[in-house]
Amino acid sequence: MLKRLAWLVLCVCAPLYASPHVDNDRLQQLANSRFWISIGHYEAGKLGGWRSYVDDPKFFLAQNGAHDPKAELAATLEAIYRPVTQGQENAHPQCVYPSRTRFLRDELKLTDLPAVDCKEFNKWFSDVAPDSTVLIFPAAYLNSPSSMFGHTLLRIDQADVQANKTALLSYAINFGAYIEGSDNSILYAWKGLAGGYPGLFALVPYQEKLSEYRSLENRDLWEYRLNLTPEETRRMVEHVWELKQIRFGYFFFDENCSYRLLELLQVARPSLDLTPQFRLTAIPTDTVRAVKEAGLVEKIDYRPSRERELLSRAEPLNHDEQQWVLKVSADQKQMQSADYIALPKERRALIQDAAYRLERYRANGQERDPTSAQRSYELLRAISTNPPPALEIERPGLPEDGHESRTWQLGAGTRDDKAFAEYGLRMAYHDLNDNAYGFPLGAQIEILQLKLRQYEDNRWQVQRLDLATIRSLTPRNELLQPWSWQVAGGLERVLGKHGDENLVSHVNGGAGGTWKLGDDVLGFAMGTVRIEHNNDFSALVSPAAGFNTGVLWRNPLGNFSLETKGDYFTNGEVRRNISLNQQWELSRNLGLRLSAQRDFSQLTSPVNEVMLELKWYHY
Amino acid sequence: MKRILLGTLFAAVSINAMAQAPGGPDCGWGNMLFEGQRGTPAHFLASTTNGTSGNATFGMTSGTNGCSTNSALTYGGKSWIAMNGMMDELSKDMAMGQGEALTTYAVVLGVAPEDRAHFAAVTHEHYQQIFTKADATAEDVHTNTIDILKNDPTLAKYATQA
Repeated sequence: MLKRLAWLVLCVCAPLYASPHVDNDRLQQLANSRFWISIGHYEAGKLGGWRSYVDDPKFFLAQNGAHDPKAELAATLEAIYRPVTQGQENAHPQCVYPSRTRFLRDELKLTDLPAVDCKEFNKWFSDVAPDSTVLIFPAAYLNSPSSMFGHTLLRIDQADVQANKTALLSYAINFGAYIEGSDNSILYAWKGLAGGYPGLFALVPYQEKLSEYRSLENRDLWEYRLNLTPEETRRMVEHVWELKQIRFGYFFFDENCSYRLLELLQVARPSLDLTPQFRLTAIPTDTVRAVKEAGLVEKIDYRPSRERELLSRAEPLNHDEQQWVLKVSADQKQMQSADYIALPKERRALIQDAAYRLERYRANGQERDPTSAQRSYELLRAISTNPPPALEIERPGLPEDGHESRTWQLGAGTRDDKAFAEYGLRMAYHDLNDNAYGFPLGAQIEILQLKLRQYEDNRWQVQRLDLATIRSLTPRNELLQPWSWQVAGGLERVLGKHGDENLVSHVNGGAGGTWKLGDDVLGFAMGTVRIEHNNDFSALVSPAAGFNTGVLWRNPLGNFSLETKGDYFTNGEVRRNISLNQQWELSRNLGLRLSAQRDFSQLTSPVNEVMLELKWYHY
Repeated sequence: MKRILLGTLFAAVSINAMAQAPGGPDCGWGNMLFEGQRGTPAHFLASTTNGTSGNATFGMTSGTNGCSTNSALTYGGKSWIAMNGMMDELSKDMAMGQGEALTTYAVVLGVAPEDRAHFAAVTHEHYQQIFTKADATAEDVHTNTIDILKNDPTLAKYATQA
């Protein structure tokens, strides 16, 4: 009863603050406009109607605003005419929704809106002082292949940032999952993938994001300056204010950072049509490519990671000099030793700089340690009296010019004397042999790959189903000794009794080292473990330990690999395999791969297989 | 202009639940060579969600920026160099005599474009008087910088601020 009364009062009061009467057709037309759809983050439902990606009732003024752009528009039109309460100006809808307010005022020529002094918003907006926009893409880090999926954020520059070179003073708009409390890592990853965390926008100093990616995660950064006008940039940032503390769903594959940023760009320039191509997945590199293809990119800058800077600084140093780097970084008194001083001054400058960078690299992610800080400081003092020349780092291939992320595969081959055809689809992303441009050598991440095989007697079979395969072969050198590692899981065919191919389910992993054998040659060796469910074995699951070694060579034709592996099962089965792969890079999105392998098993005689496979990288 | 910049940036120092520093438990500095520290963040999986751990921030609007002070401007240039990582960057750039952080410092201090190269040269030359010890604070560094500027005929005019 009370509730009804309240409604009644509301209805009676509503006309008192005279929002203009706008006819239904006009309302409908505005509600269907691209801009209104964009700032409400609506998507057309599969069965008609609308739904908003915003997962937060406080974003909507109409009760069914999440599904009804028109009702939301009508409610907004009413709300911005609400009387202003002294001292509560910042809570007035005009201040909460500056973007909506501007849109309605401009479209409906609202001249009689109550004047509200939005202090908080105005202060914020003038502090951010948006003038231009830069799309930031932290590239993949070799030793963390999951970073290949990357991330994107936007940097908002003030008018003088380019002239003054003060990007360190800019802000970044970042969309990410909002993690509360103390979920453990596994839960964390799972919830991140499955959408258990809400996504929020945050506006943070760009500098903070820089140190996060360049130093903590050792990722190179790409900065794509967009040709958005100051007006477009301002329009976008104005809308970002409306998203303050507003929750979206967050899903790793589609409703992620990159998708949200594309939406923002559409707010900036409503004529853009970027999001429809990314309904299923929005892999950041692909979204960068879409932005570039839409003609938005004006200039590309590159910022190497701290690790790359360290390695580049140490690169011209010979073995003895690298040893000096290690000695000097461990004990600064070495810089006073006669042997050290005997080195040419320019070489000492390089050594000291490399030693400093190594010291900082090691301190990365650690608690501050006074002795390490003291070491760094001693090195800096030495550097200040004998500074090295500026680092010149060659820009690597543009990540968005690398092959596209989904791969269709068509192969033909023979297994012993039986011919077969093979059909494959991989949802993402890159293996050690794939077309190499724009990818680091030695990194592999594959998500969801299915291969079907058809033998000549028209017998079809599932050849493999990989859930995920990750390999990280990061070379060790005198200064840094990273581990190489790999994990994989899924279904695959292995040699069984009588030469059959058994479909088994497995999980396996390995760890070891990788070494640079030549300019474009890596050699690796890993110890491995495996758990397998195999119908040929009596136990439900059978464990094995083994090895995996090989070489990877980047040659003019494409990537070549030769590897051997062995699994020694506790039940006596020994399975070994040697394989050779050569990719022939036909074009950016087309590759031809020759694979040959020989399988050995205790259960049957060895089997040879040769296959030629066409790979089409197609989003 | 410079005062505005300093104020703005100060206000922008975000709440980062992991950052700890002088100026307050949540005043951000980062994994610092110089005073201030940061716990080891579990960032390995962070790349799956690109998440903001802790409080989602929104520039100055978070109201409290974590740094304990009543007035943004009393911090002077410290506000910027006190931010995550900046002391590290600045100390490195100044030791080398060049770099983005050093340029930014000049801009924040209001040094005119034509004097910035000179600013870089002078601060580089006096590196050890500006960064006097491994646990120098942002305030020390700022005060020392101003002292050095005062003694330089070209740069003295930039040494006026609080």
